[in-house]
Amino acid sequence: MPDSAITIDRLEKSFPRAQSGWRALLQPFASPTMQALRGISFDVRPGEAVALLGTNGAGKSTLLRILSTLLLPTRGRAVVAGHDSAREPAAVRRHLGYHAGSDLGFYARLTGEENLRFFGQLNDLSGSYLSSRIATLSAQFELRGAIENQVRTLSSGTVQRLSLLRALLHEPKVLLLDEPTRSLDALAAADFRRFLKTEVLQRQGTSLLFASHTLSEIEFLADRVAILNEGNLVAIETSAALKSRSGATTLEDAFSRLTGHSPHSLQELAPS
Amino acid sequence: MMRTLRDLLLFFQRDVRIASTYRSPFVLELVEALFGAAMFYYVARFVDSPELRNALPQGTTYFAYALVGFIFFDYLHAALDSFDHTLEEARDTGTLEPLLVTQVSLPVALIGSSIYPFVLTTLRVAIYLGWGFILFGFPLRSANWLSVVIVLVATMLSFSGLGIFSSAFLLLFKRGNPSKWFFLGISSVVGGMLFPVGILPSWLQIIAHLNPVTYALDAMRGALLDGAGLRAIGYSLLVLVLFTILLLPTSILAFSWALKRTKINGTLSHR
Repeated sequence: MPDSAITIDRLEKSFPRAQSGWRALLQPFASPTMQALRGISFDVRPGEAVALLGTNGAGKSTLLRILSTLLLPTRGRAVVAGHDSAREPAAVRRHLGYHAGSDLGFYARLTGEENLRFFGQLNDLSGSYLSSRIATLSAQFELRGAIENQVRTLSSGTVQRLSLLRALLHEPKVLLLDEPTRSLDALAAADFRRFLKTEVLQRQGTSLLFASHTLSEIEFLADRVAILNEGNLVAIETSAALKSRSGATTLEDAFSRLTGHSPHSLQELAPS
Repeated sequence: MMRTLRDLLLFFQRDVRIASTYRSPFVLELVEALFGAAMFYYVARFVDSPELRNALPQGTTYFAYALVGFIFFDYLHAALDSFDHTLEEARDTGTLEPLLVTQVSLPVALIGSSIYPFVLTTLRVAIYLGWGFILFGFPLRSANWLSVVIVLVATMLSFSGLGIFSSAFLLLFKRGNPSKWFFLGISSVVGGMLFPVGILPSWLQIIAHLNPVTYALDAMRGALLDGAGLRAIGYSLLVLVLFTILLLPTSILAFSWALKRTKINGTLSHR
Protein backbone atom coordinates (compact mmCIF):
# COMPACT_ATOMS: atom_id res chain seq x y z
CA MET A 1 0.00 0.00 0.00
CA PRO A 2 1.40 3.42 -0.90
CA ASP A 3 1.88 6.11 1.79
CA SER A 4 -1.50 7.58 0.89
CA ALA A 5 -4.68 5.71 0.12
CA ILE A 6 -5.84 8.73 -1.87
CA THR A 7 -3.76 11.60 -3.22
CA ILE A 8 -5.45 14.62 -4.71
CA ASP A 9 -2.97 16.92 -6.35
CA ARG A 10 -4.00 20.38 -7.64
CA LEU A 11 -7.19 18.86 -8.96
CA GLU A 12 -9.36 21.03 -11.19
CA LYS A 13 -12.63 20.21 -12.86
CA SER A 14 -14.70 22.42 -15.14
CA PHE A 15 -17.95 21.66 -16.91
CA PRO A 16 -19.43 23.26 -20.02
CA ARG A 17 -22.53 25.38 -19.59
CA ALA A 18 -25.81 23.69 -20.56
CA GLN A 19 -26.84 24.78 -24.04
CA SER A 20 -30.39 25.09 -25.33
CA GLY A 21 -32.06 25.32 -28.74
CA TRP A 22 -29.93 24.40 -31.73
CA ARG A 23 -26.78 24.95 -29.66
CA ALA A 24 -27.68 21.82 -27.67
CA LEU A 25 -26.41 19.88 -30.72
CA LEU A 26 -22.96 21.27 -29.98
CA GLN A 27 -23.17 20.52 -26.23
CA PRO A 28 -20.82 17.51 -26.36
CA PHE A 29 -18.12 19.72 -27.87
CA ALA A 30 -18.67 22.83 -25.72
CA SER A 31 -15.71 24.26 -23.81
CA PRO A 32 -15.70 23.68 -20.06
CA THR A 33 -16.09 27.09 -18.47
CA MET A 34 -17.81 26.44 -15.12
CA GLN A 35 -15.29 25.54 -12.44
CA ALA A 36 -16.44 22.90 -9.99
CA LEU A 37 -13.04 22.17 -8.40
CA ARG A 38 -10.36 24.84 -8.26
CA GLY A 39 -7.02 23.15 -7.77
CA ILE A 40 -7.54 21.27 -4.52
CA SER A 41 -4.87 19.09 -2.91
CA PHE A 42 -4.97 16.71 0.04
CA ASP A 43 -4.23 13.12 1.04
CA VAL A 44 -6.22 10.40 2.75
CA ARG A 45 -3.95 8.06 4.73
CA PRO A 46 -4.39 4.29 4.79
CA GLY A 47 -7.12 3.39 7.27
CA GLU A 48 -8.18 7.01 7.69
CA ALA A 49 -11.73 8.34 7.39
CA VAL A 50 -12.08 11.79 5.86
CA ALA A 51 -15.41 13.59 5.52
CA LEU A 52 -16.21 16.09 2.78
CA LEU A 53 -18.34 18.91 4.11
CA GLY A 54 -19.84 21.66 2.00
CA THR A 55 -23.06 23.07 0.65
CA ASN A 56 -24.58 21.81 -2.59
CA GLY A 57 -22.33 22.73 -5.51
CA ALA A 58 -19.22 22.84 -3.33
CA GLY A 59 -17.62 20.07 -5.41
CA LYS A 60 -17.99 17.06 -3.08
CA SER A 61 -19.75 14.74 -5.54
CA THR A 62 -17.55 15.92 -8.41
CA LEU A 63 -14.47 14.95 -6.41
CA LEU A 64 -15.91 11.53 -5.52
CA ARG A 65 -16.90 10.90 -9.14
CA ILE A 66 -13.40 11.75 -10.39
CA LEU A 67 -11.89 9.35 -7.84
CA SER A 68 -14.35 6.64 -8.90
CA THR A 69 -13.34 7.13 -12.59
CA LEU A 70 -16.82 8.32 -13.61
CA LEU A 71 -15.43 11.75 -14.48
CA LEU A 72 -12.15 12.91 -15.99
CA PRO A 73 -10.33 15.79 -14.29
CA THR A 74 -9.62 18.96 -16.27
CA ARG A 75 -6.20 19.42 -14.62
CA GLY A 76 -4.25 17.86 -11.78
CA ARG A 77 -4.22 14.29 -10.52
CA ALA A 78 -6.37 12.00 -8.44
CA VAL A 79 -4.54 8.87 -7.27
CA VAL A 80 -6.22 5.92 -5.56
CA ALA A 81 -4.08 3.15 -4.02
CA GLY A 82 -1.15 4.33 -6.12
CA HIS A 83 -3.06 4.42 -9.43
CA ASP A 84 -4.00 7.51 -11.42
CA SER A 85 -7.78 7.66 -11.90
CA ALA A 86 -7.51 9.11 -15.42
CA ARG A 87 -4.67 6.92 -16.71
CA GLU A 88 -5.29 3.61 -14.95
CA PRO A 89 -9.04 3.54 -14.34
CA ALA A 90 -9.29 -0.27 -14.26
CA ALA A 91 -6.55 -0.52 -11.60
CA VAL A 92 -8.26 2.19 -9.56
CA ARG A 93 -11.60 0.40 -9.73
CA ARG A 94 -9.99 -2.81 -8.47
CA HIS A 95 -9.17 -1.08 -5.17
CA LEU A 96 -12.28 1.00 -4.91
CA GLY A 97 -15.77 0.64 -3.52
CA TYR A 98 -18.23 3.35 -4.49
CA HIS A 99 -21.70 3.94 -3.14
CA ALA A 100 -23.55 6.98 -4.44
CA GLY A 101 -26.15 7.04 -1.68
CA SER A 102 -28.95 6.26 -4.09
CA ASP A 103 -31.48 3.47 -3.69
CA LEU A 104 -31.34 2.86 -7.45
CA GLY A 105 -28.66 0.88 -9.20
CA PHE A 106 -29.98 -2.68 -9.03
CA TYR A 107 -31.89 -4.93 -11.41
CA ALA A 108 -35.31 -4.74 -9.81
CA ARG A 109 -36.54 -8.16 -10.94
CA LEU A 110 -33.45 -10.02 -9.75
CA THR A 111 -33.05 -10.95 -6.11
CA GLY A 112 -30.56 -9.11 -3.95
CA GLU A 113 -28.26 -12.12 -4.06
CA GLU A 114 -28.47 -12.43 -7.85
CA ASN A 115 -27.56 -8.76 -8.12
CA LEU A 116 -24.64 -9.16 -5.72
CA ARG A 117 -23.37 -12.21 -7.60
CA PHE A 118 -23.58 -10.39 -10.93
CA PHE A 119 -21.67 -7.33 -9.74
CA GLY A 120 -19.24 -9.46 -7.71
CA GLN A 121 -18.40 -11.56 -10.77
CA LEU A 122 -17.82 -8.41 -12.80
CA ASN A 123 -15.26 -7.55 -10.12
CA ASP A 124 -13.53 -10.89 -10.68
CA LEU A 125 -14.94 -12.63 -7.61
CA SER A 126 -16.18 -16.16 -8.09
CA GLY A 127 -17.13 -19.48 -6.61
CA SER A 128 -16.98 -20.19 -2.91
CA TYR A 129 -15.14 -16.94 -2.11
CA LEU A 130 -17.97 -14.85 -3.57
CA SER A 131 -20.57 -16.98 -1.78
CA SER A 132 -18.80 -16.63 1.55
CA ARG A 133 -18.37 -12.85 1.11
CA ILE A 134 -22.09 -12.48 0.38
CA ALA A 135 -22.99 -14.68 3.36
CA THR A 136 -20.65 -12.88 5.76
CA LEU A 137 -21.57 -9.36 4.71
CA SER A 138 -25.29 -10.04 4.49
CA ALA A 139 -25.17 -11.38 8.04
CA GLN A 140 -23.26 -8.29 9.21
CA PHE A 141 -25.69 -6.01 7.41
CA GLU A 142 -28.68 -8.02 8.67
CA LEU A 143 -29.73 -8.65 5.10
CA ARG A 144 -29.69 -12.43 5.14
CA GLY A 145 -33.41 -12.85 4.54
CA ALA A 146 -33.77 -9.77 2.39
CA ILE A 147 -31.25 -10.76 -0.27
CA GLU A 148 -33.42 -13.72 -1.23
CA ASN A 149 -36.17 -11.35 -2.41
CA GLN A 150 -36.43 -9.43 -5.66
CA VAL A 151 -34.97 -5.95 -5.21
CA ARG A 152 -38.26 -4.33 -6.28
CA THR A 153 -39.86 -5.66 -3.10
CA LEU A 154 -37.22 -4.20 -0.75
CA SER A 155 -37.52 -0.95 1.18
CA SER A 156 -35.38 2.04 0.30
CA GLY A 157 -33.23 1.60 3.38
CA THR A 158 -32.64 -2.08 2.66
CA VAL A 159 -31.58 -1.26 -0.89
CA GLN A 160 -29.15 1.32 0.51
CA ARG A 161 -27.56 -1.30 2.73
CA LEU A 162 -27.47 -3.71 -0.20
CA SER A 163 -25.69 -1.02 -2.20
CA LEU A 164 -23.04 -0.58 0.49
CA LEU A 165 -22.67 -4.34 0.71
CA ARG A 166 -22.03 -4.41 -3.03
CA ALA A 167 -19.37 -1.70 -2.68
CA LEU A 168 -17.56 -3.79 -0.04
CA LEU A 169 -17.83 -7.21 -1.73
CA HIS A 170 -14.39 -7.17 -3.32
CA GLU A 171 -12.70 -5.91 -0.14
CA PRO A 172 -11.68 -2.54 -1.55
CA LYS A 173 -8.80 -0.64 0.06
CA VAL A 174 -10.65 2.61 -0.43
CA LEU A 175 -14.34 3.27 0.07
CA LEU A 176 -16.04 6.33 -1.42
CA LEU A 177 -19.50 7.19 -0.13
CA ASP A 178 -21.69 10.02 -1.31
CA GLU A 179 -24.28 10.82 1.37
CA PRO A 180 -24.51 7.17 2.43
CA THR A 181 -27.35 7.55 4.93
CA ARG A 182 -29.54 9.81 2.79
CA SER A 183 -32.42 7.34 2.47
CA LEU A 184 -32.13 5.64 5.83
CA ASP A 185 -34.34 6.22 8.84
CA ALA A 186 -32.64 7.42 12.04
CA LEU A 187 -32.21 3.96 13.56
CA ALA A 188 -30.99 2.37 10.35
CA ALA A 189 -28.59 5.28 9.82
CA ALA A 190 -27.17 4.84 13.33
CA ASP A 191 -26.71 1.09 12.76
CA PHE A 192 -25.10 1.80 9.43
CA ARG A 193 -22.60 4.24 10.97
CA ARG A 194 -21.71 1.81 13.73
CA PHE A 195 -21.11 -0.90 11.15
CA LEU A 196 -18.92 1.41 9.07
CA LYS A 197 -16.88 2.39 12.11
CA THR A 198 -16.37 -1.03 13.67
CA GLU A 199 -16.29 -3.37 10.67
CA VAL A 200 -15.09 -1.32 7.74
CA LEU A 201 -12.80 1.22 9.35
CA GLN A 202 -11.52 -0.47 12.51
CA ARG A 203 -11.55 -4.17 11.65
CA GLN A 204 -10.82 -4.08 7.90
CA GLY A 205 -8.72 -0.90 7.93
CA THR A 206 -10.42 0.42 4.80
CA SER A 207 -9.75 4.06 3.97
CA LEU A 208 -12.91 6.09 3.72
CA LEU A 209 -13.71 9.35 1.94
CA PHE A 210 -17.34 10.32 2.28
CA ALA A 211 -19.57 13.31 1.64
CA SER A 212 -22.27 14.08 4.14
CA HIS A 213 -24.53 16.88 5.31
CA THR A 214 -25.16 15.15 8.64
CA LEU A 215 -22.74 16.71 11.13
CA SER A 216 -23.24 14.07 13.82
CA GLU A 217 -22.32 11.43 11.24
CA ILE A 218 -19.19 13.33 10.31
CA GLU A 219 -18.13 13.74 13.93
CA PHE A 220 -18.78 10.07 14.64
CA LEU A 221 -16.94 8.65 11.62
CA ALA A 222 -14.33 11.09 10.39
CA ASP A 223 -10.74 11.37 11.58
CA ARG A 224 -10.48 14.61 9.59
CA VAL A 225 -12.98 16.90 7.89
CA ALA A 226 -12.30 18.56 4.53
CA ILE A 227 -14.38 21.70 4.08
CA LEU A 228 -15.11 22.56 0.48
CA ASN A 229 -16.55 25.87 -0.61
CA GLU A 230 -17.27 26.69 -4.27
CA GLY A 231 -14.64 24.24 -5.46
CA ASN A 232 -11.93 25.38 -3.04
CA LEU A 233 -10.53 23.42 -0.13
CA VAL A 234 -11.01 25.76 2.82
CA ALA A 235 -9.55 23.50 5.50
CA ILE A 236 -8.77 19.88 6.27
CA GLU A 237 -8.31 19.10 9.94
CA THR A 238 -9.80 17.13 12.78
CA SER A 239 -13.19 18.31 13.93
CA ALA A 240 -11.64 19.55 17.20
CA ALA A 241 -8.92 21.48 15.34
CA LEU A 242 -11.48 23.09 13.04
CA LYS A 243 -13.50 24.26 16.03
CA SER A 244 -10.46 25.54 17.85
CA ARG A 245 -9.08 27.28 14.76
CA SER A 246 -12.33 29.13 14.12
CA GLY A 247 -13.13 29.73 17.78
CA ALA A 248 -16.38 27.79 17.39
CA THR A 249 -18.03 25.40 19.80
CA THR A 250 -19.75 23.23 17.20
CA LEU A 251 -18.74 21.88 13.80
CA GLU A 252 -21.70 23.67 12.29
CA ASP A 253 -20.48 26.95 13.67
CA ALA A 254 -16.92 26.23 12.53
CA PHE A 255 -18.19 25.53 9.02
CA SER A 256 -20.14 28.74 9.04
CA ARG A 257 -17.19 30.84 10.18
CA LEU A 258 -14.73 29.26 7.76
CA THR A 259 -16.95 29.49 4.67
CA GLY A 260 -19.04 32.55 5.41
CA HIS A 261 -22.23 30.52 4.92
CA SER A 262 -25.00 31.00 7.44
CA PRO A 263 -25.33 28.07 9.90
CA HIS A 264 -28.72 27.04 8.52
CA SER A 265 -27.30 26.58 5.01
CA LEU A 266 -26.09 23.17 6.16
CA GLN A 267 -29.23 22.40 8.19
CA GLU A 268 -31.40 23.10 5.18
CA LEU A 269 -29.52 20.51 3.21
CA ALA A 270 -29.31 17.90 5.90
CA PRO A 271 -31.91 15.16 5.81
CA SER A 272 -34.32 15.20 8.72
CA MET B 1 -10.11 -12.68 -24.36
CA MET B 2 -11.40 -15.34 -21.91
CA ARG B 3 -12.32 -12.60 -19.49
CA THR B 4 -14.31 -10.75 -22.16
CA LEU B 5 -16.14 -13.95 -23.10
CA ARG B 6 -16.91 -14.60 -19.43
CA ASP B 7 -18.26 -11.06 -19.02
CA LEU B 8 -20.40 -11.41 -22.16
CA LEU B 9 -21.83 -14.64 -20.75
CA LEU B 10 -22.56 -12.94 -17.42
CA PHE B 11 -24.65 -10.29 -19.15
CA PHE B 12 -26.51 -12.93 -21.13
CA GLN B 13 -27.21 -14.96 -17.97
CA ARG B 14 -28.43 -11.81 -16.23
CA ASP B 15 -30.89 -11.11 -19.05
CA VAL B 16 -32.12 -14.71 -19.10
CA ARG B 17 -32.76 -14.51 -15.35
CA ILE B 18 -34.64 -11.23 -15.70
CA ALA B 19 -36.66 -12.58 -18.64
CA SER B 20 -37.53 -15.73 -16.69
CA THR B 21 -39.39 -13.59 -14.15
CA TYR B 22 -41.86 -12.74 -16.92
CA ARG B 23 -43.60 -15.84 -18.23
CA SER B 24 -46.51 -14.83 -20.45
CA PRO B 25 -44.60 -12.98 -23.22
CA PHE B 26 -43.23 -16.25 -24.62
CA VAL B 27 -46.71 -17.69 -25.06
CA LEU B 28 -47.88 -14.45 -26.68
CA GLU B 29 -44.86 -14.59 -28.99
CA LEU B 30 -45.93 -18.06 -30.16
CA VAL B 31 -49.44 -16.84 -30.94
CA GLU B 32 -48.23 -13.63 -32.59
CA ALA B 33 -45.87 -15.60 -34.84
CA LEU B 34 -48.77 -17.86 -35.87
CA PHE B 35 -50.87 -14.86 -36.88
CA GLY B 36 -47.89 -13.27 -38.64
CA ALA B 37 -47.11 -16.38 -40.67
CA ALA B 38 -50.80 -16.82 -41.53
CA MET B 39 -51.03 -13.21 -42.70
CA PHE B 40 -48.10 -13.64 -45.08
CA TYR B 41 -49.52 -16.90 -46.38
CA TYR B 42 -52.88 -15.39 -47.30
CA VAL B 43 -51.41 -12.15 -48.66
CA ALA B 44 -49.08 -14.26 -50.82
CA ARG B 45 -52.01 -16.29 -52.13
CA PHE B 46 -53.91 -13.11 -52.88
CA VAL B 47 -51.12 -11.36 -54.82
CA ASP B 48 -49.82 -14.48 -56.58
CA SER B 49 -49.43 -13.85 -60.33
CA PRO B 50 -47.16 -15.03 -63.18
CA GLU B 51 -45.40 -11.61 -63.17
CA LEU B 52 -44.58 -11.92 -59.50
CA ARG B 53 -43.32 -15.47 -59.89
CA ASN B 54 -41.07 -14.33 -62.74
CA ALA B 55 -39.56 -11.59 -60.57
CA LEU B 56 -38.65 -14.03 -57.79
CA PRO B 57 -35.76 -16.52 -57.81
CA GLN B 58 -36.79 -19.68 -59.60
CA GLY B 59 -38.90 -22.09 -57.59
CA THR B 60 -39.52 -19.60 -54.75
CA THR B 61 -43.05 -18.78 -53.67
CA TYR B 62 -43.89 -15.25 -52.64
CA PHE B 63 -44.95 -16.54 -49.22
CA ALA B 64 -41.50 -18.01 -48.55
CA TYR B 65 -39.76 -14.97 -50.03
CA ALA B 66 -41.72 -12.41 -48.01
CA LEU B 67 -41.66 -14.40 -44.77
CA VAL B 68 -37.85 -14.67 -44.85
CA GLY B 69 -37.55 -10.95 -45.64
CA PHE B 70 -39.93 -9.90 -42.92
CA ILE B 71 -38.59 -12.06 -40.09
CA PHE B 72 -34.90 -11.53 -40.83
CA PHE B 73 -35.44 -7.80 -41.01
CA ASP B 74 -36.01 -8.16 -37.26
CA TYR B 75 -32.25 -8.61 -36.82
CA LEU B 76 -31.76 -5.06 -38.03
CA HIS B 77 -34.36 -3.88 -35.51
CA ALA B 78 -32.64 -5.89 -32.77
CA ALA B 79 -29.23 -4.47 -33.64
CA LEU B 80 -30.38 -0.87 -33.85
CA ASP B 81 -32.60 -1.05 -30.77
CA SER B 82 -30.83 -3.32 -28.32
CA PHE B 83 -27.70 -1.21 -27.79
CA ASP B 84 -29.71 1.99 -27.36
CA HIS B 85 -32.23 0.24 -25.16
CA THR B 86 -29.51 -1.21 -22.95
CA LEU B 87 -27.92 2.19 -22.46
CA GLU B 88 -31.21 3.96 -21.77
CA GLU B 89 -32.34 1.29 -19.35
CA ALA B 90 -29.04 1.35 -17.45
CA ARG B 91 -29.27 5.13 -17.22
CA ASP B 92 -32.91 5.08 -16.09
CA THR B 93 -32.54 2.30 -13.52
CA GLY B 94 -29.30 3.77 -12.16
CA THR B 95 -27.29 0.62 -12.96
CA LEU B 96 -25.00 2.42 -15.40
CA GLU B 97 -22.70 3.91 -12.74
CA PRO B 98 -22.44 0.75 -10.60
CA LEU B 99 -21.50 -1.11 -13.79
CA LEU B 100 -18.88 1.46 -14.68
CA VAL B 101 -17.10 1.15 -11.35
CA THR B 102 -16.61 -2.60 -11.84
CA GLN B 103 -13.85 -4.15 -13.94
CA VAL B 104 -16.05 -4.44 -17.04
CA SER B 105 -15.74 -1.90 -19.85
CA LEU B 106 -18.88 -0.21 -21.14
CA PRO B 107 -18.48 -1.53 -24.72
CA VAL B 108 -18.32 -5.09 -23.33
CA ALA B 109 -21.36 -4.40 -21.11
CA LEU B 110 -23.21 -3.06 -24.12
CA ILE B 111 -22.32 -5.95 -26.41
CA GLY B 112 -23.07 -8.45 -23.63
CA SER B 113 -26.48 -6.90 -23.11
CA SER B 114 -27.29 -7.23 -26.79
CA ILE B 115 -26.76 -11.00 -26.87
CA TYR B 116 -30.12 -11.79 -25.32
CA PRO B 117 -32.14 -9.63 -27.78
CA PHE B 118 -30.33 -11.36 -30.65
CA VAL B 119 -31.05 -14.79 -29.18
CA LEU B 120 -34.67 -13.78 -28.66
CA THR B 121 -34.90 -12.59 -32.27
CA THR B 122 -33.47 -15.93 -33.40
CA LEU B 123 -36.10 -17.76 -31.34
CA ARG B 124 -38.82 -15.59 -32.84
CA VAL B 125 -37.51 -16.33 -36.32
CA ALA B 126 -37.50 -20.06 -35.53
CA ILE B 127 -41.11 -19.87 -34.32
CA TYR B 128 -42.20 -18.05 -37.49
CA LEU B 129 -40.41 -20.59 -39.66
CA GLY B 130 -41.86 -23.44 -37.60
CA TRP B 131 -45.44 -22.24 -38.07
CA GLY B 132 -44.70 -21.54 -41.75
CA PHE B 133 -43.40 -25.09 -42.20
CA ILE B 134 -46.07 -26.91 -40.20
CA LEU B 135 -49.15 -25.05 -41.46
CA PHE B 136 -48.33 -23.23 -44.69
CA GLY B 137 -45.79 -25.33 -46.58
CA PHE B 138 -42.68 -23.22 -46.05
CA PRO B 139 -39.86 -25.18 -47.80
CA LEU B 140 -37.70 -25.74 -44.73
CA ARG B 141 -36.37 -29.12 -45.89
CA SER B 142 -34.27 -27.55 -48.63
CA ALA B 143 -32.31 -25.30 -46.25
CA ASN B 144 -28.54 -25.53 -45.92
CA TRP B 145 -28.25 -25.10 -42.14
CA LEU B 146 -24.50 -24.54 -42.04
CA SER B 147 -24.90 -21.63 -44.46
CA VAL B 148 -27.89 -20.35 -42.47
CA VAL B 149 -25.86 -20.25 -39.23
CA ILE B 150 -22.87 -18.57 -40.88
CA VAL B 151 -25.07 -15.95 -42.57
CA LEU B 152 -26.80 -15.33 -39.23
CA VAL B 153 -23.52 -14.67 -37.43
CA ALA B 154 -22.24 -12.43 -40.25
CA THR B 155 -25.57 -10.58 -40.26
CA MET B 156 -25.55 -9.97 -36.50
CA LEU B 157 -21.95 -8.78 -36.51
CA SER B 158 -22.38 -6.41 -39.44
CA PHE B 159 -25.64 -4.97 -38.05
CA SER B 160 -24.10 -4.59 -34.57
CA GLY B 161 -21.73 -1.92 -35.85
CA LEU B 162 -24.76 0.16 -36.85
CA GLY B 163 -26.29 -0.35 -33.41
CA ILE B 164 -23.12 0.69 -31.58
CA PHE B 165 -22.87 3.84 -33.73
CA SER B 166 -26.43 4.60 -32.72
CA SER B 167 -25.68 4.21 -29.00
CA ALA B 168 -22.61 6.46 -29.33
CA PHE B 169 -25.00 9.09 -30.67
CA LEU B 170 -27.38 8.45 -27.77
CA LEU B 171 -24.57 8.75 -25.24
CA LEU B 172 -23.59 12.15 -26.62
CA PHE B 173 -26.96 13.68 -27.43
CA LYS B 174 -29.20 11.87 -24.91
CA ARG B 175 -32.02 11.37 -27.40
CA GLY B 176 -32.77 8.63 -29.91
CA ASN B 177 -30.77 8.73 -33.06
CA PRO B 178 -32.91 10.05 -35.98
CA SER B 179 -30.58 8.49 -38.52
CA LYS B 180 -31.51 5.11 -37.01
CA TRP B 181 -35.13 5.55 -38.06
CA PHE B 182 -34.02 6.86 -41.44
CA PHE B 183 -31.82 3.80 -41.90
CA LEU B 184 -34.62 1.43 -40.89
CA GLY B 185 -37.04 3.20 -43.22
CA ILE B 186 -34.76 3.19 -46.23
CA SER B 187 -33.70 -0.41 -45.60
CA SER B 188 -37.30 -1.55 -45.55
CA VAL B 189 -37.71 -0.05 -49.05
CA VAL B 190 -34.41 -0.88 -50.72
CA GLY B 191 -33.19 -3.86 -48.64
CA GLY B 192 -35.34 -6.41 -50.46
CA MET B 193 -37.56 -7.18 -47.49
CA LEU B 194 -40.83 -7.80 -49.37
CA PHE B 195 -39.83 -7.47 -53.03
CA PRO B 196 -36.69 -8.09 -55.07
CA VAL B 197 -34.20 -5.24 -55.39
CA GLY B 198 -34.25 -5.82 -59.16
CA ILE B 199 -37.67 -4.18 -59.57
CA LEU B 200 -36.45 -0.88 -58.06
CA PRO B 201 -35.37 2.11 -60.21
CA SER B 202 -31.66 1.97 -60.95
CA TRP B 203 -30.74 4.82 -58.56
CA LEU B 204 -32.47 3.02 -55.69
CA GLN B 205 -30.65 -0.16 -56.64
CA ILE B 206 -27.35 1.70 -56.14
CA ILE B 207 -28.45 2.62 -52.61
CA ALA B 208 -29.57 -0.97 -52.06
CA HIS B 209 -26.11 -2.23 -52.86
CA LEU B 210 -24.54 0.08 -50.30
CA ASN B 211 -26.74 -1.43 -47.60
CA PRO B 212 -25.73 -4.57 -45.63
CA VAL B 213 -29.41 -5.54 -45.27
CA THR B 214 -29.58 -6.30 -49.00
CA TYR B 215 -26.69 -8.78 -48.77
CA ALA B 216 -27.92 -10.33 -45.53
CA LEU B 217 -31.37 -11.06 -46.98
CA ASP B 218 -29.89 -12.25 -50.25
CA ALA B 219 -27.59 -14.71 -48.51
CA MET B 220 -30.27 -15.86 -46.07
CA ARG B 221 -32.79 -16.55 -48.86
CA GLY B 222 -30.12 -18.44 -50.77
CA ALA B 223 -29.22 -20.58 -47.73
CA LEU B 224 -32.76 -21.12 -46.49
CA LEU B 225 -34.85 -21.38 -49.66
CA ASP B 226 -32.35 -22.70 -52.23
CA GLY B 227 -30.10 -24.72 -49.92
CA ALA B 228 -27.15 -22.71 -51.23
CA GLY B 229 -23.71 -23.64 -49.92
CA LEU B 230 -21.05 -21.17 -48.82
CA ARG B 231 -19.60 -20.96 -52.31
CA ALA B 232 -22.95 -19.97 -53.84
CA ILE B 233 -23.56 -17.19 -51.32
CA GLY B 234 -19.87 -16.30 -51.07
CA TYR B 235 -20.20 -12.84 -52.60
CA SER B 236 -22.94 -11.70 -50.21
CA LEU B 237 -21.07 -13.21 -47.27
CA LEU B 238 -17.86 -11.45 -48.28
CA VAL B 239 -19.66 -8.10 -48.44
CA LEU B 240 -21.16 -8.72 -44.99
CA VAL B 241 -17.70 -9.51 -43.62
CA LEU B 242 -16.35 -6.30 -45.20
CA PHE B 243 -19.19 -4.30 -43.62
CA THR B 244 -18.31 -5.93 -40.26
CA ILE B 245 -14.60 -5.11 -40.63
CA LEU B 246 -15.49 -1.52 -41.46
CA LEU B 247 -18.33 -0.90 -39.03
CA LEU B 248 -17.54 -2.86 -35.88
CA PRO B 249 -14.12 -1.41 -34.95
CA THR B 250 -15.04 2.13 -36.04
CA SER B 251 -18.30 2.00 -34.08
CA ILE B 252 -16.49 0.80 -30.94
CA LEU B 253 -13.95 3.61 -31.39
CA ALA B 254 -16.78 6.11 -31.83
CA PHE B 255 -18.48 4.77 -28.72
CA SER B 256 -15.27 4.95 -26.66
CA TRP B 257 -14.73 8.52 -27.81
CA ALA B 258 -18.33 9.43 -26.92
CA LEU B 259 -17.87 7.85 -23.48
CA LYS B 260 -14.73 9.91 -22.91
CA ARG B 261 -16.61 13.09 -23.90
CA THR B 262 -19.36 12.33 -21.39
CA LYS B 263 -16.73 11.82 -18.68
CA ILE B 264 -15.23 15.19 -19.57
CA ASN B 265 -18.58 16.97 -19.71
CA GLY B 266 -20.08 15.17 -16.73
CA THR B 267 -23.11 14.01 -18.71
CA LEU B 268 -22.65 10.25 -18.39
CA SER B 269 -25.81 9.61 -16.41
CA HIS B 270 -27.79 12.58 -17.73
CA ARG B 271 -31.07 11.83 -19.47
